[in-house]
Amino acid sequence: MTRQERAGWLFAAPVLAIIALVFVLPTALALCLSVTDYSIYALADWSNLRFVGLGNFTDLLSTPLFWRALANTLIFAALGVPMAIGTSLFVALLLNDATVRWKPLWRVLLFAPYVTSIVATAVVWRFLFNQRFGLINRALGAIGVAPVDWLGNPHLSIPAILIFVTWKVFGYNMIVFTAALAAVPQDLMEAARLDGASRWARFRHVTLPAIGPTLLLATVMSVAGFLQIFAEPYVMTMGGPAQSTTTLLYFMFDEGFKWWNLGQASAVAFVLFVMTLAVTVVQTRLGRRREWL
Amino acid sequence: MVAVMGEGTGWTRRAALGLIPALGLAGCAGRSDDAGTAPLSMWAMSWEGDYSPFLMPRFTARTGIDVDVQSLPTTASHEKLLTAFAGGAMPDVLMLFNTWVKEFATIGALAPVTAAPLVADVFPALRASTRVGGHDYAVPWSVAPQVQFYRRDILAEAGYDAPPQDWAGWRTMARAIKRRRPDDYVFLMLLNWPTALVTMLSQAGAAMLRDHDTRGDFQTPEAREAFAYYVSLYTDGYAPMVLSTEMQDPVAAFATGYCSVWPSSPPTLKDFARRADLIPADKWSTARLPGPNGYGAVSGLSASLCVSTQTRRPREAWALVRHLTSVESELDYQRLIGNLPARTDAWGAPQLALPVLRPFAKQTRALSVTPNVIEWERIQIEIQSAAERVIRGVQTLDAALTALDERVDRLLAKRRALLNRGVIA
Repeated sequence: MTRQERAGWLFAAPVLAIIALVFVLPTALALCLSVTDYSIYALADWSNLRFVGLGNFTDLLSTPLFWRALANTLIFAALGVPMAIGTSLFVALLLNDATVRWKPLWRVLLFAPYVTSIVATAVVWRFLFNQRFGLINRALGAIGVAPVDWLGNPHLSIPAILIFVTWKVFGYNMIVFTAALAAVPQDLMEAARLDGASRWARFRHVTLPAIGPTLLLATVMSVAGFLQIFAEPYVMTMGGPAQSTTTLLYFMFDEGFKWWNLGQASAVAFVLFVMTLAVTVVQTRLGRRREWL
Repeated sequence: MVAVMGEGTGWTRRAALGLIPALGLAGCAGRSDDAGTAPLSMWAMSWEGDYSPFLMPRFTARTGIDVDVQSLPTTASHEKLLTAFAGGAMPDVLMLFNTWVKEFATIGALAPVTAAPLVADVFPALRASTRVGGHDYAVPWSVAPQVQFYRRDILAEAGYDAPPQDWAGWRTMARAIKRRRPDDYVFLMLLNWPTALVTMLSQAGAAMLRDHDTRGDFQTPEAREAFAYYVSLYTDGYAPMVLSTEMQDPVAAFATGYCSVWPSSPPTLKDFARRADLIPADKWSTARLPGPNGYGAVSGLSASLCVSTQTRRPREAWALVRHLTSVESELDYQRLIGNLPARTDAWGAPQLALPVLRPFAKQTRALSVTPNVIEWERIQIEIQSAAERVIRGVQTLDAALTALDERVDRLLAKRRALLNRGVIA
C-alpha cells in the first residue's frame, strides 16, 4: 500500500466506520431477525424466541394484507412517479421560458411545499378533500360535479393522496431540472429551430438527451421514494378506508413498532429491500444502454 | 464569525474538534445520580394526560415530591410505551388502557400491586382485566360504561322522549329521524372505532374467542347477528361511512344535528362541557345502550395506573398511584374531566347523582368481561376492519367472517403454541 493509498483509507475510515455501524450492521441484524419469530412474547422472555427459517416469508405470502399492501405500493409507484416527475419537468420547462418574469419568486413559491411540515400540510389537505366542506368539492360543485368522497372511497383514496404527494414533492425535482435545463446548449437549440424543428421535436431531440442523466437520477430516486411511501397515508388516512392506502412500509410499521412482531416486520423490510434494489438495477441498465451513465 | 471568536479566546480549530468526542462522551454518561431531587415522571393519554397536573399540587404539598406529567397522543401511545420499555426509558408511573395491562404485565414492564387495599373496592369487572396469573398489575382509575348521548330536541321531533331499549326499536327510531332529516344521519359511529361493534357483539352474547381464547369464534349465530345489525345501520343510511380522519370534529357533528345519537363513554361529558356554547346542556341527555332484547351488560373498561418495573423509586411511585386513585382524587377528576370513579366507595357522593350520570350508574351494575389476551387490541382492529370491508361492499358478510376467523387464528398462533407447551396458563 502506497503512502497515498494509506492516507486515502485513513480519511475514508471515519465515514466507512459510520456506514458500517448505522447501515451495514442494522441491515445484517434485521436479516437475522427475519428468520426468527421475535414477537412480544420474546420481549417478555428470550426463551420464547425460535428460529423459523423462511417461516416468516412463507407466512407473508399467505397473508392477504401483505399482498394488498404490495399492490397498493406498486400502484403508488406506478402512478406517482410519472405524476411527480411529469409535474416537475413541466413546471421546470415553463419556468425556463425566456418570457417568464420574476423567476426567483416562482421558484421559491413552488419549492415551498417541499420544505413545509408534512403533518401540517396533511391536515390542510384533509380539509381541502373533505366531502362536505372541502374547497375541492366546492370548486367541482361550481362546474356541476357531484361531491366526491376523496378520502372515504377505497378507489379514490390513492389518487387523492397522490395529488397531495405530487404537490408536496414536485418542487425538489423542479429545481434539479431547472439546473439541468440551464445547461442545454442554446446553439443546438437555435440550429434546430432554423432547420424548422417543431416545439415537440426540439424537446424530444435536443432538450431530452441533454437532461437524460438528470431525468434518470430523478426517476431512480422517485421510485425508491414511492416504494417507501409511508408518512402521507399515515397522517392522511391511517391506511384506510378498507386498507386501501396501507403500503408495504405502513404494514411493516404496524407489525414491527405497533405490535412488536419484529420477525415478521424484518421479513417485510427484506422484501422491500430486494424490490428497491431490483428496480434500481433495471433502471441503471436502461440508462447505460442509452449512454446516460 | 467563527474565526473572530477563535482569535479572541485563543481557541484553535484543533481544540474545537477535540471537544466533539468529549461532548459525545458526556452525552453517553447518562442520567447522573439525581434520583433524590428529580421529579417523578408520569405518562398519561387523553384528557387524563392533559389534566393530571391539576391533581398534583395536593400530592406535592403532602409529600414534597414533584411530578412531571407527559401527555401522550392516544393513537401513538401503544408503540411509544412498548418502545420505551424495550429501550429502558419507561416513566415511574404510567396510565394504561385496561386492555393493554395484560400485555405489559406479561413482558415484565409492570410492578405487581403489593398493597391489597389499593384494589379492594374497585368494580370486579375492571379488576379482572388487570389480573395476570393471580396478581394485580394495575390500579383501575376510572370506569367507563358505554352509553348513548342523544339530542333531546331531535328525538322529540321524531316523537321520542328517550331512545328505545332494544335494537329493533333503535332502528325504528332511526327511520323516524331520517325521514325528517334526510340529509343528516342518526348514529355517530366512526368506521375505524371498534368500540360500538365490540359492544354489540358482547351484548348479542358472542364469545368472540374459543378454545381457551386461542382461536377466533366469529361464525356463530350471535356474532353474525351483531355484525349484520351493525352493517345494516350503515347500509340503510343511518350512520355515515366515515373514518376518524374524515370527521375531524365529532362534537360539532353532534351539535349541528348531522348525527343525533352518539354511543360513547364518560370522556364525552368533558367534550360537551368544554364546548357548551356549541352544544348547550339542555339539548342533550344520556341513556343506556340498547341490546338485541333490551338492556344488557356492556364493557366498562377504561384506564388504569401502573408502576413501571424500571422505576428507581417504587415507594414514591406507589404513593402517587395511591393519591391519584383515592376517592378524593377520583371525585375531583369527575368534576374536572367527567371520568367516573373506579371505586365503588366513591359512588355514594352527591355529585354522582346528576340526571345525566344516572344511566352510567345503572350500567356499572351490569359490566361485561372482555377476553383477556395480549392480542385483544389487535383483534379488535381486525373485527372493525372486517366490518368496514362489508359496509364498503368489498366483501360479503360470510366471506368477511371466515377471513376474520382465519386472521384471528393466525394472530393467536403464538399464544396457542405457548399454551400447548405449557409456558403460559
